[in-house]
Amino acid sequence: MKPLLYVGLVLGVVPIQTTVLDHLSVAGVRPDLCLVAACLIGFFGGLADGVLMGVLLGFEQDLFSAGDAWINLTTKAVIGLSAGVVGRYVARATPVTVFPMVLGLSVCSGIAFLFAGAGGQGTLAAVRSVLLPQAMFDTAVGMGLYWILAERFRKDDSLV
Amino acid sequence: MFRSTSGTRRVLLALCALLLSLVFVLPKQSRTLLQAIGKPLADIVALPLDVLSSADHNAGEIWGRYVALRQVHEENRQLRREIEFLRGQAADLREMAAANQRLGELLRFQANAPAQTVAARVIGRDATNWYHGVVLDKGERDGIQAEMGVMTLTGAVGRVVKTRASSSVVLLITDPNNAVTSLIQRTRDEGIIEGTFGGTVRMKYIPLLSTVRVGDPVVTSGLTGGFPKGVPVGTITNIQKDEGELFQTADVQPEVDFTKLEEVLVVTVPRRVEEPPAALPAEKKKP
Repeated sequence: MKPLLYVGLVLGVVPIQTTVLDHLSVAGVRPDLCLVAACLIGFFGGLADGVLMGVLLGFEQDLFSAGDAWINLTTKAVIGLSAGVVGRYVARATPVTVFPMVLGLSVCSGIAFLFAGAGGQGTLAAVRSVLLPQAMFDTAVGMGLYWILAERFRKDDSLV
Repeated sequence: MFRSTSGTRRVLLALCALLLSLVFVLPKQSRTLLQAIGKPLADIVALPLDVLSSADHNAGEIWGRYVALRQVHEENRQLRREIEFLRGQAADLREMAAANQRLGELLRFQANAPAQTVAARVIGRDATNWYHGVVLDKGERDGIQAEMGVMTLTGAVGRVVKTRASSSVVLLITDPNNAVTSLIQRTRDEGIIEGTFGGTVRMKYIPLLSTVRVGDPVVTSGLTGGFPKGVPVGTITNIQKDEGELFQTADVQPEVDFTKLEEVLVVTVPRRVEEPPAALPAEKKKP
């Protein structure tokens, strides 16, 4: 079940991100599904799964992005790792617990992009028009997905 | 979690750690390695991407029809359904006619364009919010390479930054990391076109003595960026001439509507290569 789910995610998340998600964009900003996926896999599946899927999804995202060929790979791996660490120490997780985790990781990922030069010279404009809206968007999607998945995967412990 | 990791997973984790450390220690070499590893994966992912792109287009049409049908009055349901069906068919035909017209214009333009081009379809947007880019359905197999210019009938679109066998990624001129040398058509003053995070375009380094004014068209200079000379970029909407500055800066309204990109032309050779004249028939030897 789990390998199938992961293969499905590898084949599906980036195509959805580049095509369908464009309709959900608010002021040109879309949620980063790869970030949310790496985050939730790390949280539910553990540190190792989080890193592996973070590397795979990030690498794939780099292939279909105009940015450098390493930025998503490294940020998503670190996000999977961090979410895995958080998942190990949080005994009773709720959507409210997920809120600071996704928000914090999304903001850190955005800062990494800014350091990599993605914002050009307009750093403040990039923070205002991409980093913060995307962090909010990622958090909302992350909490929603957590709410849907939590019951199923926490109860039967199939991903832990 | 580490206790429960299997041998395979440990090997995979070690590979990931090696890859990540390579990225940091040898950034340039690892980029080449990542590109080589990524090509087969990109080809595999391009398939669901293409399918999703088509499904997305069809779903939009179906949703549009559903919304239209909800307004149908109960009394004339049957008749209105028929009308809607015919309307749907008419809309399909109009869409096909529009697509035909667009492609026809594209072909005519391609035939007369001051460059050799390859037509491509936009199948997706950049996978992150950080770059203004689009994904094309053509790649190295069709002769597309990095740094080639991309344009439409109306003007310059951007440049190719990544290529795979059957897809490529284009960085739009609205991206802050993109720069295209351009000139103001009326005054012939050169400058550099750069994107902004708001999705607009600015022309920098316009000479201080230039008589540029609002409404002046801006075209590509043909010097860099993979574009032939004279491709429209946009129209100047605002000029900033600050005291103490060595250059003027202008806001430019792009000619292309980047939210509605469907088909584009990739400039494979910026200047048209004239076909060599047919070889003259050999003179007959006199007896």
